[in-house]
Amino acid sequence: MILQAISFYAFAAVTVAAAVMVISARNPVHSVLFLILAFFNAAGLFVLMGAEFIAMILVIVYVGAVAVLFLFVVMMLDINFVELRQGFLQYLPIGALVGLVLLAELVLILGSWAIAPDTASRAAAPTPAITETTNTHAIGQVLYTDYIYLFQAAGLILLIAMIGAIVLTLRSREGVKRQRISDQVGRTREESVEVRHVEPGSGV
Amino acid sequence: MVADALWGYLMQDMLSEYLPILIFLGIATGIAIAALVASYIVARQRPDPEKVSAYECGFDAFDDARGQFDVRFYLVAILFIIFDLEIAFLFPWAISLSEIGLFGFWSMMAFLGVLTIGFIYEWKKGALEWE
Amino acid sequence: MIEIGLSHYLTVAAILFTLGVFGIFLNRKNVIIILMSVELILLAVNINLVAFSIHLNDLAGQVFALLILAIAAAEAAIGLAVIVVYFRNRGSIAVEDINLMKG
Repeated sequence: MILQAISFYAFAAVTVAAAVMVISARNPVHSVLFLILAFFNAAGLFVLMGAEFIAMILVIVYVGAVAVLFLFVVMMLDINFVELRQGFLQYLPIGALVGLVLLAELVLILGSWAIAPDTASRAAAPTPAITETTNTHAIGQVLYTDYIYLFQAAGLILLIAMIGAIVLTLRSREGVKRQRISDQVGRTREESVEVRHVEPGSGV
Repeated sequence: MVADALWGYLMQDMLSEYLPILIFLGIATGIAIAALVASYIVARQRPDPEKVSAYECGFDAFDDARGQFDVRFYLVAILFIIFDLEIAFLFPWAISLSEIGLFGFWSMMAFLGVLTIGFIYEWKKGALEWE
Repeated sequence: MIEIGLSHYLTVAAILFTLGVFGIFLNRKNVIIILMSVELILLAVNINLVAFSIHLNDLAGQVFALLILAIAAAEAAIGLAVIVVYFRNRGSIAVEDINLMKG
């Protein structure tokens, strides 16, 4: 139990510290790297809670793909990031005010809420005991049947993201020579070689 | 309360399987920090402005390392994310297929079909071609 | 303090959420950092969902967390694509320049 508590506090502290660095780092590349650290430690928190599958997906999808995408964009755009930081301190008071108000509200909620006594009996998808199945197995049993509409909606959203990204960023370039293998293979001797008889001494 | 205690006990059981990973993480962090600190202590530190200046007309030793990427890398990365998520959704399906039956099977086939439409679209648009 | 319960995770999520909102205000000019702040906010929401899911013994929360992960990835992809196109057209990603209906 003590090890669990220590791990929780370590993961939580690093997550929060990394989140602070994400929003305050001077170099956006560092921001992305701290975002990766934050996600990694959040995955540790998920494992501590017992949601193994979400934790692993967080590492695969966020650390492996989304953070890399952010890194690509930061590297791809040639931007003077120092210029973009101007006004950082100017927005600090209003940002701090809004943040504090929000935090105060959240603390108020945290201090005063209670779970209705009959909530446990109304669970939409009760978790099977951990001795029977694993977390991933349990998710698989409900995700594709009970939550089929949400699952299909997620598929449609991914489709829209794919098409949107292609429409937005793909542009055909002028004057690019491409290799067309079918044309290359389909070349015949007649259309590519011309035999000429040159008289001796007359030149071509 | 009894259920809570039982749950807590089972959670302990699951978490104890993760203990080696936790130890591994601790050792990895320790080694990384040790390497940094050791190289700082053991190596001779003689800072000199000449060491960081450009040699004749070469590059600056400490310059902005960001070289511009081509936008096509970005497109490939986006398509990777989408198919990465598709694979993520396949995992629970694969291990619970025997219980969710035909309905679950076709549910996933519809999902894959939707994403295949996107795949055909990007193929036809030439987004996968490296000109 | 030793017994880690629901309220501990909710506190972490609340702090992360606040940091995300704070980051949006703090980096008013840099769209990329704003997008990262949005990712932090979504992460906080996910921690909340999973914490309640475990506490109430209800898998629905984890299913929703999974869907939010998918949405967040799609949002990042489209958002960054918009940034790339905007940079291509205007040569900058400063937020205050984004005030024209037609680029």
